[in-house]
Order: sequence, then C-alpha cells, then structure tokens
Amino acid sequence: MISRLRALWMYVFRRNQLDDDLDEELSAYVELVSAEKVRSGMSTEEAFRNARRETGGVEQIRQGVRDIRVGVTLERLVQDVRYGIRTLAKNPIFSLVAIGTLALGIGANTAMFSLLDQVVLSLLPVKQPERLVRVTMAGDNYGDSYGPDRISWPMFEDLRDGNQVFTGMFSVFSTSVTLGHGNRAEQATAELVSGSYFPVLGIGAAEGRTIAPDDDKVPDSQPVVVLSYSFWHNYFNGDRSIVGRTIALNSYKMTVIGVAQPGFDGVQPEIPAQMFVPIMMKTEMTPHSDGLKDRRRRLAWVKTFGRLKPGMSAQQAQSSLQPLLHSILEMEVQLPDFRQFSNEDRRQFLRNRIQLLPGSDNWLSERMRRPLWILTALTGAVLLLACANLANLMLARAPAREREIALRLAIGAARARIVRQLMVETLLLSGAGAALGLALALLADRFLLHLYLPANEVAEFVVSPIPDWRVLALALCLLLLTSLAFGLVPALRGSRTEIAPSIKERSATGSAASVPLCRLLVVIQVALSLLLLTGAGLFVRTLRNLRGLGPGFPTDHLVEFALDPSLNGYSNDQTESFYERLNVNLLAMPGVSSVGLSSMPLLKAYAWQHAIIGETSAGEPKEAQPVLSEVGPGYFSTIGIPILEGRDFTERDRGPVKVAVINQSFAKRYLPPGDPIGRRFGLVDDQDPTALPNIEVIGVIPDTKYKDLREPAPPQAYFSYFQGPSFRFMNVYLRTEGDPRQLEDRLQERMRQFDSHVPIVGLETMNDQIGWSLRTERLVASLSAIFGGLAMLLAVVGLYGVMAYTVTRRTREMGIRIALGATRARIIGMMMREASVMVLVGLSVGAVLALALANLIRNQLFGLDPHDPWTLIGASLSLAIAAGAAGFIPAARASSVDPTTALRRE
Amino acid sequence: MAGSESDLLQGTLDVLILKALALQELHGMGISRRIGQMTNGAFDVKAGSLFPALHRMEQAGWLTSSWGQAETNRRAKFYSLTKTGRKHLQTETERWERISLAMGAALGLRQEAR
Repeated sequence: MISRLRALWMYVFRRNQLDDDLDEELSAYVELVSAEKVRSGMSTEEAFRNARRETGGVEQIRQGVRDIRVGVTLERLVQDVRYGIRTLAKNPIFSLVAIGTLALGIGANTAMFSLLDQVVLSLLPVKQPERLVRVTMAGDNYGDSYGPDRISWPMFEDLRDGNQVFTGMFSVFSTSVTLGHGNRAEQATAELVSGSYFPVLGIGAAEGRTIAPDDDKVPDSQPVVVLSYSFWHNYFNGDRSIVGRTIALNSYKMTVIGVAQPGFDGVQPEIPAQMFVPIMMKTEMTPHSDGLKDRRRRLAWVKTFGRLKPGMSAQQAQSSLQPLLHSILEMEVQLPDFRQFSNEDRRQFLRNRIQLLPGSDNWLSERMRRPLWILTALTGAVLLLACANLANLMLARAPAREREIALRLAIGAARARIVRQLMVETLLLSGAGAALGLALALLADRFLLHLYLPANEVAEFVVSPIPDWRVLALALCLLLLTSLAFGLVPALRGSRTEIAPSIKERSATGSAASVPLCRLLVVIQVALSLLLLTGAGLFVRTLRNLRGLGPGFPTDHLVEFALDPSLNGYSNDQTESFYERLNVNLLAMPGVSSVGLSSMPLLKAYAWQHAIIGETSAGEPKEAQPVLSEVGPGYFSTIGIPILEGRDFTERDRGPVKVAVINQSFAKRYLPPGDPIGRRFGLVDDQDPTALPNIEVIGVIPDTKYKDLREPAPPQAYFSYFQGPSFRFMNVYLRTEGDPRQLEDRLQERMRQFDSHVPIVGLETMNDQIGWSLRTERLVASLSAIFGGLAMLLAVVGLYGVMAYTVTRRTREMGIRIALGATRARIIGMMMREASVMVLVGLSVGAVLALALANLIRNQLFGLDPHDPWTLIGASLSLAIAAGAAGFIPAARASSVDPTTALRRE
Repeated sequence: MAGSESDLLQGTLDVLILKALALQELHGMGISRRIGQMTNGAFDVKAGSLFPALHRMEQAGWLTSSWGQAETNRRAKFYSLTKTGRKHLQTETERWERISLAMGAALGLRQEAR
C-alpha cells in the first residue's frame, strides 16, 4: 500500500525523474549486455549493435514500463475528459442543445414530481400513517355544518364507543385564537383535540407532556395547552421555562404543559397547527359557539380520524361500520330535531353512509391532485421529447463520429480505449445536463411554491424545495440510456466495420439506416409538442376566461382585512360598540372614501348556507338554500353593488322586525312573481319547527359572485348585522381614493392604535385576492405554456437537425440536379415537401392524441370545450409555421449548392 | 516448453524474478542471466518483459531498488527482495509445488527430483 502511494506520489510530482531513471537503467542494460559480448570476444562496435538488437526497441520498453505505472489510469481518464471537453467544445451548438435538453428533461420532471410527492402523495409524519383513516359521513347531515367531512360530537362519541374496527379514534377542530403573551397580541391557529389524539397518532412530547385522555373528561376543567415544536421555536425562541407557565388564549389563562415532537404540525398540513388544546375547552376557545356542551346532533363540526386495527383493511372497516351508523341514524331520525323534515328527507337521511378516506389526504392535496398530476404528465411528455431530441442529436452526429473512430482505430487506438473515451464523453454531457437540471429544479420548486403560497406561508408549509432523488435518478438514467443507445452504439457499430471504407467515404453518407429513425423521431417530437401546445392553449384560455369573468363589482381601490374582537373575551355589547367605533374611525382616515363590514368574506370559497321557508312554501324547505351574510350599512356602496329596488340598510335597522336585501336570483327562485319588496321569508330553525317567515325584503341588488369566480352568482340574502344573533368575526372592506397598497402600512398602524389587543389578519387588496384565488389556474397555465413553448423549440430543433443532415448527405445529388437545370424553387420545393411530410404526419398523430386525451382535463377547464377546435388549429398552425421556418433554412442552403464544388467534393 | 517469453505462464515471470533475487541483489541484466542459468537456458527473458515486470513488482512492494556499481563500474539499478517479496516467493513456491505435482500426475509424467 505504502509502496503504491509512494509510486503514485512519484508519478504525479516527479515524473521527469522517473523517466530519467528509466532511461539510465535501460542504457545501463544495453551497456552491460555489450560488455558481456566484448568479454566473449566480439569487437566493441559489433557487441554494441548486437546488444541493441537483442534488447529490442527502447521506446517500446519505455512505453511498456509506463503502462504499468500506478496513476496511469488516472492520467488516461484525465486525458479522456480533456479530449471529451475538447470534442464537445468543438461543436458548441450540439453540446449546448444536448445539455439544455438534458437539463430540461431532468429539471422539469424532478421539480414537478417533488411538488406532487410532497403535496399530494406525502403521508402525515405520524406513526404508521397508512393505517390512519378519516371517518366521514357521505350524505346530508340535515342541519348546520362546518364542511362535508365533519360529524357531530355525539356522533363521534357513538362511533368511538361502538366500533369494532379501530384501535383508537380521535376528533379535532381547528380554530383561530388570540394569543396574549406579555403585551403582544397575535392570532394563532389551534387544534382542539380529543384526549386520544396524541396516543392514537403516536406523537410524543419534546418537552413536558402531551394532552392525555385524562385531560378530556369534563368540559372547561383542563385549561392546558401543548405547543407545536416550530411555534415554540419561533415564538418562544425554544425557551424551556415556558413549560409550566401560563399564556392567555382569548384572554383565558392556559398552562403550557408541553411541546409536541419536532416536525408535527397537526393533521391538516394546509392549516399547520401552532398549538393543541383539549377539546373540552371548546367554549373558551370559540366563545361564539358551543356544540360540545349542547350536544346538538344537527351540528357537524368535528373532523374524525381512526387507526385501523392490525390486519383490517379500510374497505372492510368501512363496510362493518355501516350497521353501526345506521343504528345511530335510526335513533337520530326519531328525535324532535327531525319533526319538520318530510318523509322523503328522512328516507334520504337514512341512506347516509360512512366513508373512510386516507388519513393523510387534506384540502390542499385534494384540490391540487388533478392539476399536479396533469402537470406531471406534461413533464413526462417533455422527458420523452427530450429523449427523442437527444437521440436525434446523437444520430445526426453518428456518421462524423464513425469516421473519426475508424481513423483512430487505424492509427492503432485500442477499441476499449475508444469505448471508454465515448463513455466519458456521454457522462460529461449527462453530468453537465444533470447539474444544470438539478439547479433548475431547485429554482423551479422555490418559484412554484412562491407562486402558489403567500410569502409568509412558504416558511410554515411543509413542502421542502429539495428535489426528489428518485425522480432525479430515473430521469438521469433514462436520458443516459438514450444517449448511450443512440450515441455510443451507432458509433461503435461503425467502428466494427471495415476501417478503410469508412475513411474513404468522404461524402459523409454514414450509416444511411439512421435516416428513417431520425424521421420517426421528428414525427414523435412534433406529435408530442402539438399535444403540449394544445394543452397549454386550453389552460391559458381557461385562465383568460376566468380573469374576464369578474366578480360583478369594481375591484380596483378596494382593500380588505378581517378581525374578531370576540376572541378577546369582549362581550356582545362591547363587540358591537367596537365595530361602531371602528366604522367611524376608519371613515375619518385620509384616503378612505367608504367602509363596509360583512360577516362572510367575499370570493374566499366560504359560504354560509341555510334553508329558508317562504310565505307559501312552508312544506318543502330543503331545496331553498341561499347563501347568506350579515352586513353593515354602507357595505353595498363600498363594494360597488347598486341597490336596484328598495333601499339599503341603515343604522336604524336594529328593531325586532328583521329586514333583508336579496339579489335578483333569490327573487326569481324563491319569491312569487311581482314586486319583491315587502315580501317575507324565514330561516328554518331546527330547534323551533314552528318558525315563521318573519324577514321582510327591503331591497334588491344585482347578481354578483359570492364564493369564487367560477361559480355562477348564487341566490343571496343579506341581513343587517345589528339584527344578527351575535357580533364576532367581521371582514372589513375599504374603498380608497388612491392606490390601496399605499394605505396598507398606515392602516396597520391605525388599527394598532385603535385597539392593540385585537390582531387584524389577511390585509390585502381585492385584486391581489382575486389573483390569489386563481393561483391553481395560473400555475397550470403558466407552466403548461412554458412546457409547450420548450417542446415546440425542441421539435423545431430536431426537424432542423434532420433536414440539415439530409442536405449535407445529398449535396452531390443537389449538385447534379442543379447542373441538369433544376431551379432554386424546385430544389426548395423538394426539400420542403420532405419536411412537410414529417410535420403533417406528426401533427395528425398529435391531433388524434390531443382529442383522445382531452377529456382527462375537462374538469380543469372553464368556458371552453376540451375538444375546442380553435385551440387545436392555433397550436397546429404555430407549430407548422415554426417547423416551416426550420425546414426552409437547410432547403435554401441546398438550393444554393454550387454544382461544380458539389461534384468535385467526391 | 519453448523458451519464448510469450509462452510464459501468467505469473511465472514474477516467481522467476523473485527466485533470482532470493540470494543476492542484482541489476536488470543480472536477473535475466540468472533466470537463464536457473532454468538451464529454457527461459530467456527479454528486456521488453523484464523491465515492466520489475517496475510493477517494485510498485507492489515486493522489490526495492537502489543505484550501485555494476561489474564494469557502470552505474546500474540493483533490485533486491523486500520482506513481502520474500513472503510472496514462499507462497508462490508452495503453490507451484502443488501445481507441478498435480499436472505431473495428470499427464502421467515420471516424478523428477527437483
């Protein structure tokens, strides 16, 4: 070992001395041999000549010794790398296109799959996440609901105590709380959890302890809180002494009992939990509603999870839970809650079923699943394209390589050495491509996350921009195989044939067999890029359609934020006075022209829906479910919605006679024909089935968007917030005189001075919010447009390469044609015909593919048919034009061949 | 067996060189002559094989070299066995013993005294 290291050291640093020593050693050998011959009686000269002859070629011996030296392999490798870099640098266009192709294929796929993997495929960081299921009830709960995946608290208890399929169940309810610590007030996200939450998830404590089943026995009895590790780290700077101290949540003193283990942010990745509170503290954490103590069965509010028993499949568990659910439903339908519903409603209710969903699925992953899969499929197509392009590049270069290799073989290079050298070259190319692709992927994931999540959420959200190594490896292997198959193999096949003809064939004919293959590859490229371009066209037009929709009111100069003073323990009267003072205060702010308050946020996918009864149609309340909101006076004028008939709310609309402003759809759907003003309707109350239509319509507004831009304007009814049951969460809208962005900082400051204990959230302009609500569409549209453009570029480069190669190959033929009198136009026409055959075949294949696959993206489109002919025609035309240009350049070159030079070249 | 070095079995040359150096240090030509002597002229190792082998064995740590005075007062490179070289000669000798016995038995040759 040591002797080898010394030899290597000598080799690297004292090469000259090694060579000098060797020379001296060899000449000593020759002299000694000749001295021996002199001793046996030869003349000096003759002896020396004989000795030289006997020894053989000194140079060969020298080479023989050098070949076995330690370090020589290394040097050969360095030589190969140098030679490889030189070869690549000699064809900069080839190298750049190849490296760019590799980088694109690797980068796009790695970035997209990493996102898909983390957003859609990832599992919760808990013990055996695949055994965790979400327990939901498919069907209508007939009552109030926080969402389709919620069930009521008593239902949770019944399922928990009656099931035979889970080792444990827990329920969770996510809510915002106001955290007071020192003199800071901030809004934080808390998960209210049942006592089984931590044990069933298998999550331990990093400090102190977690919430245990004992904390979950008696309502209001356990004012304790567990912090998430990242929140503890960021907000409390990882201070260990916080455990055992109290913090104020909604002005209620809570003892910090521990910190959850690192990396765990609750069971809803889209709303990372910053703290965990026993669900028995619901009343304190959500002062506006209860649901726990009143045990209403018609209020679905908890998300419920179960851990499957070993050996139990989700399918088995789901079917064996149905009888249990059915018995619960049979009992519920007998309760007084149901008295007001029709027999049909009861039958419908009894058909509800338990549905078990994967525990790691969440709102974000469900929403992003399809768009991300589509984008991943698009990048897959880009990878195929990249392979085809690389293959084409390699094939086009093969004839030149063949001659070079034949020449090198002829002057005595070993075949193994040539293979190694080609391998090194391919690896260099792939290495550069992979490095660039990886950098691209890193940048792309960061960029995509920023595009998709607001800046402050990127830090919180658990998507890391580290590319997925499996996809990286897969893409790299695929491209490496392609370049080996299409670069190395033809070159070697060439090297095995007779050396002489290869060198003699000076006309660069090369292996003519590769031409049909090249054409096929161009056809594939054209087809794939048409597919990508059509997809891009559909997505871009969808985005434009959605942007063009508009909400039905002017969105410029409109800024919004939200707050909830009731979380600070403010009583209903205090909250009412808070909002009244706030209204006055903000109206006095310079730059603000009007102020409007609303209990429901606009265009944020939230909806408050409730069944109503009409004056005459008391029997069938179920179908009538308009969306509702409580607003203050000045709301409609602030948003810019005109009052078409009747009047707006005023300060005086506080009395016992309830009033409402409705939109036109509401009037058309639920009110009898004629003047809607003065008509009455009522809200269904499951506590009081005798409720009367006691709300009077005082005004009518036009239809405007409510939940999001895609959904057509639903029937809407607005109430005066003075007449609501309680004051709590409010969205504040300000119409400004100038650019609303410039108001934001002053607004923050003004609100701090107004009441430093009430944090404001979600301050942004309406335009930003609308842009934000279209982020999925924007993501898909911009990425597919980028991929489509790149695909077209690749296809065009491929076509150009094949045409240029054809022209070089047929220079002689062109020379003869021109000599025989063919015109330039004829030659160009001939070449263009050849190009257009490839393009047309490619376009037809692509069009068939596009039409066949279009249905897969139907749900992602808006306002146009997936088989939209204009998009397909537009994509085909732009591809045809670009391809035509790419084909024309070599064709023009072919037509300007000088016949004498072309013929002399042979 | 013909005396041409191209017929030398793989590894044979190494053993012969080790054996040649077992008694004393020698320079290149000395080793070549000693091998000729040892094998009754059956092996005539040419410089083209000898020197690469010597350098390879030196790198492997079996041999060590130093410059010294040859018979004619010519400066020459002398090779000698290292400890590992000696050990290697030992194991190679045993191996060859087994091989030659086995080959002799297989081919029905009369056992000769070595």
